[in-house]
Amino acid sequence: MYSTKSKYVGFAYIAPALLFVAAFTLYPLGQLFWMSLHNWSLLGGNKFIGFGNYLRAYQDPIFWSALFFTFQYTLYLTPILMILGYLFALLTSGTAGLVKLTRGTIFIPVVIGLGSSSLLWVWLFQPQIGLFNRLLVDLHIIPKPLVWFGADATLGLWGVIISITWKVVGFGMILFVAGIQSIPAEIIEGAEIDGASYWQRVARIIVPLNYRIILLVTLISAIGSMLAFEQFYIMTTGAPENQTITSVYWIYTNSFTYFKLGYGSTLSIMLMIIIVAGTSIQIALTRRRSLE
Amino acid sequence: MSLRGFAANRNSYLIAAICLALMAIMLFPLVMSLLTSLKPAGEAGMWPPNYLPSRLSFSNYIEMYNYQAGLPLYLFNSFSVSFMTIGGCVTLASLAGFGLARFSIPYKEVFFLLLICGMMIPYQTLLTPLYMMFSGLGLQNTRVGLAIVHTAIQLPFSIFLMRHSFEAVPRELEEAALIDGCNSLQLLWWIFVPSVIPGIVSVALFAFLTSWNEFIGALIFMNKETMFTLPIMLVASRTGYYGSTDWGILQAGVIISIVPCVPVYLLLQKYYVSGLMRGAIR
Amino acid sequence: MAASVPAMAGTTLSMWVRSDGEELTRKIIDAWNAGHDNKIQLTVIPSPQMVTKFATAAAAGDVPDILSIDLIFMPDFMKAGFMTDITDKMKDDPNIGRVSPSHIKLATYKDRLYGVPGTPDVSVLLWNKDLFRKAGLDPEKGPTTMQEVYEDAKKIRALGPDIYGYYIAGNCGGCNIFTVAPMMWATGAHVVPTSADDEALRDGDIKGVLEILHKMWTEGLMPEAVRGAGPSEFHSAFYPGKLGMFAHGNFQIGLIKNKAPNLDFGITFIPGLKEGEVSSFAGGDVISIPKRAKHPDDAIEFLKWVMTDEPQIEVYAKGNFLPSRTDLVNNKYFKDNPKLIKAAGAVAIAQTPWTFHFNDMVNDASSPWLKMIQRSVFDGQIDDSIVEARKRMREIISEE
Repeated sequence: MYSTKSKYVGFAYIAPALLFVAAFTLYPLGQLFWMSLHNWSLLGGNKFIGFGNYLRAYQDPIFWSALFFTFQYTLYLTPILMILGYLFALLTSGTAGLVKLTRGTIFIPVVIGLGSSSLLWVWLFQPQIGLFNRLLVDLHIIPKPLVWFGADATLGLWGVIISITWKVVGFGMILFVAGIQSIPAEIIEGAEIDGASYWQRVARIIVPLNYRIILLVTLISAIGSMLAFEQFYIMTTGAPENQTITSVYWIYTNSFTYFKLGYGSTLSIMLMIIIVAGTSIQIALTRRRSLE
Repeated sequence: MSLRGFAANRNSYLIAAICLALMAIMLFPLVMSLLTSLKPAGEAGMWPPNYLPSRLSFSNYIEMYNYQAGLPLYLFNSFSVSFMTIGGCVTLASLAGFGLARFSIPYKEVFFLLLICGMMIPYQTLLTPLYMMFSGLGLQNTRVGLAIVHTAIQLPFSIFLMRHSFEAVPRELEEAALIDGCNSLQLLWWIFVPSVIPGIVSVALFAFLTSWNEFIGALIFMNKETMFTLPIMLVASRTGYYGSTDWGILQAGVIISIVPCVPVYLLLQKYYVSGLMRGAIR
Repeated sequence: MAASVPAMAGTTLSMWVRSDGEELTRKIIDAWNAGHDNKIQLTVIPSPQMVTKFATAAAAGDVPDILSIDLIFMPDFMKAGFMTDITDKMKDDPNIGRVSPSHIKLATYKDRLYGVPGTPDVSVLLWNKDLFRKAGLDPEKGPTTMQEVYEDAKKIRALGPDIYGYYIAGNCGGCNIFTVAPMMWATGAHVVPTSADDEALRDGDIKGVLEILHKMWTEGLMPEAVRGAGPSEFHSAFYPGKLGMFAHGNFQIGLIKNKAPNLDFGITFIPGLKEGEVSSFAGGDVISIPKRAKHPDDAIEFLKWVMTDEPQIEVYAKGNFLPSRTDLVNNKYFKDNPKLIKAAGAVAIAQTPWTFHFNDMVNDASSPWLKMIQRSVFDGQIDDSIVEARKRMREIISEE
């Protein structure tokens, strides 16, 4: 690339972002860690207890059940989003008017706020006044309106997954479209001439060439799912009996409902360590693959 | 480039059918939302539910327009903060992405991890320490302060995206320019930026959307109605009557929050696609 | 500590209110602003975030001059030292002894006063007169004991497959402290602990109340949806006109007039188990002055004014809101409205739980209170769940 002198130049380019992040992310993170070593109340007052909070988290059944539920949610949702997102991208990466319109339409829900979207679906799923339920009944898919949220954890989970898929699939799709469109036309046409069928071209050429963007989007999507909160807060409210609580929901509950900022900070740090570990492993695997 | 080649004539009907079905599915909730928002006041919560309004009424929108400090002020606040966030993210992420992608830096991956670790924390928990800090600096209840918070939230993803975009630029372009004797800044501005326009556009788009829709940070940092952003107004206006939700107002709120985003998306999409067409980008 | 700004004409005071109480508070502020030089600027905060926002702001000292907050959070905030002690300033105020006792109690900490009632509301029992008529019950007579509620519910249930007798919010701790706790208080029970030395869930007949609710559940007198019902469903359960009775807030009077104007209904106090046992939950806001407010001396004038005759009658009562003055129940605006008079009468007999960590203890999805209700009513494990709830409540109140 460049001569050795450039190592300082490179650093100069990342310096502004680094300073910004240091001030507005790393420093508060440090404070968070400091708070996690205390019994720190939102209402003021704190007592140093060393790693007592961490021990408590380790023994906290709700921390583990929330973590497990969050993993479950991530493992169900991510493949759905990636596969659908990529299929939609394949469908709409052309230049015809109809496909561009479709692309825009699929993207529109991405634009809505998560809070508004969640409330929209709460309304749609409502047993008494919800139109989605009513549609399902009118189409004879179900005999009478379902109680999606509050009574059954599985229904609640799938209700959230349906609503989030609707909202977010456009995000992956747009990034995949960029990836697909960046493949030089000659390569595709070459394969077509060689007699490869459409799906063969997809599997052998397009997907492998998009390997890096697929991984990037998968990673971002998975991290986002691990940090999911607002949709559950609004739609399931953790019911029944905290079975649909995610990790961040539990953090929020402890910090702001129970006023236990110290313990909430502990849970945040632990969640972050888990996510960083997962991400590092994934990135390391990627680098090794791309070197091969 | 494009995959239109695959669509032989008989397949194009199938494709069209799939497209239309997809659009119908994606739009159904929004169309229902729009229709409900146009119902007269109170009708949205009626039981049993009707698909269509009994008559068209803008009462929900009028109520939102006049809500507290007035919709125009909230829109102004939201736009200001969002545009500042775009500025912050695009600038910082482009510089950092360039540095990470095209230079060798000692402990580069460590720095990279530091830069993106913000993406792996629930940002809600950083709000309390940030608020204390901003209060000391006098940045609370300001649009600039909130824009800084939003930039901090969005920067990791932006850097991730920009690094990826910069890395995808072919080496040949760079080497050709180096031979001509460019320094790094010229290289960045004249060679790289045109090639990573889709990345910049994506960063801008997502920065706008994140900032535009962000609720809890805005609520914590703003103390006066005159500084509130759109999401706060949406939440405050639809809860009322001791905890009940006004569904009609909620739908009007959904529609109102979408409407400004669509032109932003269309505008950016234009550059997005045309930027791609301009060069061979990997 | 910043010195308070001396009163001068034309100061602007800042006030925060939660979105639930917005309507009435705005009317009060408008009335104040019309007649005073010091104007109040109102900022509405979404109810669920009010506590978080105030706590964060208080820690940094960015507080409003006047705060209208849900009364059940006052103990936590008073203990944390976030509120200004107004005992001395209020010593000679004639109205302090004439307003809702529950609000005053919740605004008192260690015998010092920190606030006055803002926007009170109470829980009452509503019954559907049409359904009563159809079931052969006297439509003008509401039930006076829980046993009677049960029997009436049974008759109404028999009217049709989609007509039910009673309703509770099976998924909402706050809804139940609002509507089920009064049944327990009516029997003389003490529900939540006031301190680590105070035992929870004792006296009276808590078991009896839970048993009747459980019976209503097992006999299908309540709809299936009750099990997952949250505040939203609970709120609108009565409007369709297919529910015999339910307990909710006095504000339903106005809401039903808007949403279901043809519904003929009655209001009475929430009963206990025996004849004559009645109670209610006094909810709503307390108005207080945060510790580092910039204009506390001006703010105090507002607190005093809000309890005087003029706003109580010309703003509260005129708008069909309950006045916090218990001696103004029979005011000129309520004269022709027996429902409002009855509801206003509930303020004097109402209670409010005084405790710390109210969210942990009651409101939250995993609170011991809600767990106890769910296990008793839906699973019938009444004795066990009471014991477990008592233990957990003690743990919570003992926390720092």
